[in-house]
Amino acid sequence: MTAQALETRALVAGYERDLPIVRGVDLNVRAGEFVVLLGPNGAGKSTLVKAIAGLVPIHAGAVLINGEDSTFSPPHQKIRRGLAFVPQTENVFATLTIEENLRLAADILPNNVRARRIDELYAMFPDLAARPGRRAGQLSGGQRQMLAAARALIVAPSLLILDEPSAGLSPKIAAEVFARLQAINATGVTIVLVEQNVKAALAVASRAVILVEGEARHEGSAAELADDPIVAELYLGAAKAGA
Amino acid sequence: MSLQVVIDGLVAGAMIGLGAIGVTLTYSILRFANFAHGEFIAWGAYFALAVSGFLGVLAPSLATPIGPFSFGWSLPIAALGAIALTAALALLVDALLFGPLRAKGGAIIILVMASFGAALTLRNLLEFIFTSRPAYYAEGLQIALRFGGVRATPDALLCLGVAAIVVVAMRFLIAKTAIGRAMRATSENPQLAGLAGVDIRKIVRIVWILGAGLAAIAGIMVGLLVQIRPTMGLDLLLPLFAAAILGGIGSAPGALLGGLIVGLAESITVRLIGAEWRAAVAFVILVAILLLRPSGLFGRPE
Repeated sequence: MTAQALETRALVAGYERDLPIVRGVDLNVRAGEFVVLLGPNGAGKSTLVKAIAGLVPIHAGAVLINGEDSTFSPPHQKIRRGLAFVPQTENVFATLTIEENLRLAADILPNNVRARRIDELYAMFPDLAARPGRRAGQLSGGQRQMLAAARALIVAPSLLILDEPSAGLSPKIAAEVFARLQAINATGVTIVLVEQNVKAALAVASRAVILVEGEARHEGSAAELADDPIVAELYLGAAKAGA
Repeated sequence: MSLQVVIDGLVAGAMIGLGAIGVTLTYSILRFANFAHGEFIAWGAYFALAVSGFLGVLAPSLATPIGPFSFGWSLPIAALGAIALTAALALLVDALLFGPLRAKGGAIIILVMASFGAALTLRNLLEFIFTSRPAYYAEGLQIALRFGGVRATPDALLCLGVAAIVVVAMRFLIAKTAIGRAMRATSENPQLAGLAGVDIRKIVRIVWILGAGLAAIAGIMVGLLVQIRPTMGLDLLLPLFAAAILGGIGSAPGALLGGLIVGLAESITVRLIGAEWRAAVAFVILVAILLLRPSGLFGRPE
């Protein structure tokens, strides 16, 4: 049986207890899967992944990361359990250099592997290696996303969650991002992706879960959902239009 | 303007600057103006007074002045104890007051008001324990050294040297070490810092320890060069905030430079206008920097 990388049980979360945004979501992601969370604006996709990462208060239910109960663990403990999360915005430290961003994330690794991991990430993202002393705040949108991904990957996570990594990027750069995510998933890293670019997301993911009004309403293989006209019409209007 | 004014200003500025580093660190990480910071300066001075007095009784030879200085070995040893005790006091205040308020998601204004309450409590507690009578580490008068037309006591020169060493050490800590990286990251974006594996609660504790430790050093300097009184922290509060904001919130070297500028401005004002205007200088600098360059000399714009 394949191990569960991520599990949420009847998760209720939101900034205010009386006004939950995520309403009882059960999510099961097996190790090695590439799952995309889709849904209309305001469906609670970002809130769900932020709650999983420990950034939004959880009011009920449970979050298990690699089988360990992490419901109320602070983010730094979840990172040590194999989770890496890349927020949609403000996902790099603008006042720190590229090198400092990477070294900060590498600081939780044993001393003897830090430098090697940074070198490996530079090899994976050569654009970053070209100017390690440059402040992250001076980078372009695409370079920032690369740095954010590199910062998340440096601890060799088993589960990578990304919140709309293609937002604000040109179609060409966005395509590069999706290709890289596919390559990362191929190395065995489980990926959960929140994405508005439905067509591109379904093309790279293995499975999709559709959230509506804070609840998981539909789920199936990415290929199935891409071809499902009812689902497309109801929830993925952008996909039907070819977005 | 004589060179003497500059020396006097630098000595006063070094004390302000060290205290301001603590203010700027706590402000940048905890995101509120801690008006109780001045009390850590006073408590640091009194802790050193109590410990050095105890050591002097225990081993009278420790009270014998070292070389040209006014104090014996009991004071440097007591300084280490005072730094540790002041840090412990700051952690206690955080555990009892600020921590629970943060956990409840208290607004910044609530934290600021709480810091006023903490300041009043700590100050009155000092007065209750030690009385309001001024105290000194050493009773004897110290002869100033002459350098051309400039005079400075060995204690004052030592304080300048200690301030320089501390600011270099702080600069190294913040710019070059893992703790410093984590502090800068937390200052910029605490949520993202957590996602990068930084234990925010640990950083908060480190900031309190550093801030209170530096406050204790500043308090001992003030006690050594001026006098020890329960209200010494209150008297320094405005210059501390003026220096921290002038230097740019989050910048330790900026806070020291801000302190030196405030100290120099005070010294020049006293010479040119009169001692009664000293207290107004920090206020004028504070208002001017908030109007003209709110991010300070080395701060980043919000």
